[in-house]
Amino acid sequence: MNRFLIRYLLLSSSLLLLSCTSAYRSLRPISVDGACARKMTPSAMNTSWYQADIDVVNKHLSGLVLIKNMPDSSQRVVFTSEAGVTFFDFGFKRPGKFKVYAVIKKLSGKAALKTLQKDFELLLGEPFARGDLQSWKTQDETFFGVTQKKEVAYFITDKDCSSLQRLEWGTKQKRKVSIKIRGAGYPSPDTLDIIHYTFPLEIRLTRLQKNDSSQ
Amino acid sequence: MPNLFPPLDDRCFIRTGKVTLGLLVIISFSTYAQYPGYTAIGEIVVFKRQFGAESAKVLSIACDFTQEKTLTSLTEKITSTGKFWFKRSDKLRIEYTKPFVYLVVMNKDKMLVRDGQKESRINVKSSKLFQRVNRIMIDCVQGNILDSKDFTARVFENGTTFLLEMTPVSKTLHEFFQTIVLTVDKKDYSAKSILMNEPMGDRTLIKLERKKLNEPIPDTVFTP
Repeated sequence: MNRFLIRYLLLSSSLLLLSCTSAYRSLRPISVDGACARKMTPSAMNTSWYQADIDVVNKHLSGLVLIKNMPDSSQRVVFTSEAGVTFFDFGFKRPGKFKVYAVIKKLSGKAALKTLQKDFELLLGEPFARGDLQSWKTQDETFFGVTQKKEVAYFITDKDCSSLQRLEWGTKQKRKVSIKIRGAGYPSPDTLDIIHYTFPLEIRLTRLQKNDSSQ
Repeated sequence: MPNLFPPLDDRCFIRTGKVTLGLLVIISFSTYAQYPGYTAIGEIVVFKRQFGAESAKVLSIACDFTQEKTLTSLTEKITSTGKFWFKRSDKLRIEYTKPFVYLVVMNKDKMLVRDGQKESRINVKSSKLFQRVNRIMIDCVQGNILDSKDFTARVFENGTTFLLEMTPVSKTLHEFFQTIVLTVDKKDYSAKSILMNEPMGDRTLIKLERKKLNEPIPDTVFTP
């Protein structure tokens, strides 16, 4: 019995140590490659409709997300059900302005709003317009990051600076959120997978073909 | 010192009367202006009885639909199309085919939702909101919506169409809908369109097109 307990404690403490290992430990600081940064910084997205699939704490829901550029250079993000009911309507304006135009009660809690705000800020490349870029590299990738309070917003390219791989929110220790970009990239990415590492939330956005929706 | 509160004289009453009459005209005009070409039906109780009896003759509907969601403040629209099936009683299948694929099947208290990624089976009894939304759609098509305790109703008509404007009573439904406006074909009492007006001004219009009424639809279409 005691031997079993000791093994269990050893295993769990090793797992704890492993989980504490920094996701960014292998990053080596380098000077910022200005040309690559200019080419790859995710800036404003084109106005597009996306089909959204959301998995949160063992529940699945779906809907449509509109990302729209407004004449005042702000961007609006609207989430509706397929049948048309609006769940939220958020406005983002650089630098760092966020406005809730509408939100249903179930999503209006502080934590839910903050999570959605940060996810879409990153997706719209908003943090990268708010501070000085730093850069790091690994064997295969180049990281560009902007420090925002205790967190860093990253955009990550392949080592040749030929494609944008993903966006991330992280602390020094931990990767918190990744946005993986698949298919065509910015300003009209085909598919965006928003994955949270600190709690079970995944949002997949798949762009609807423009000729299929009327504007 | 001037009298700040002079007694009301006859002239004042006449003036007040004119203003009241003017206001009444404006109010009644604006009521009908909301639905141009329609006039209000006063006797809702009589209409409800007739509506219930006639719409009960619609045993099934198979049709195409076009849904147009308008985000008013963003001057943005998205149009989707698909197929719609209804079978009395309490069976509904709505299949979006463009520009996205999405399926909802409602069969009494069972519901199936299939989107691009996943399939979910929901017992609507376990969710009050699902139960209510489920009930609204079925009641709109089935002709029972005027009996619903969830709404207060006003009814209008023109030569070819009845227009039923439903206003939610409960806070829960009011969060999603300001009004739901259902139009019904006078010739066969089948639903023509459902307009959902949201509190922030956005709206969704679903038009039922190329309707086939009372043709046999196998029960397997509604297997949740």
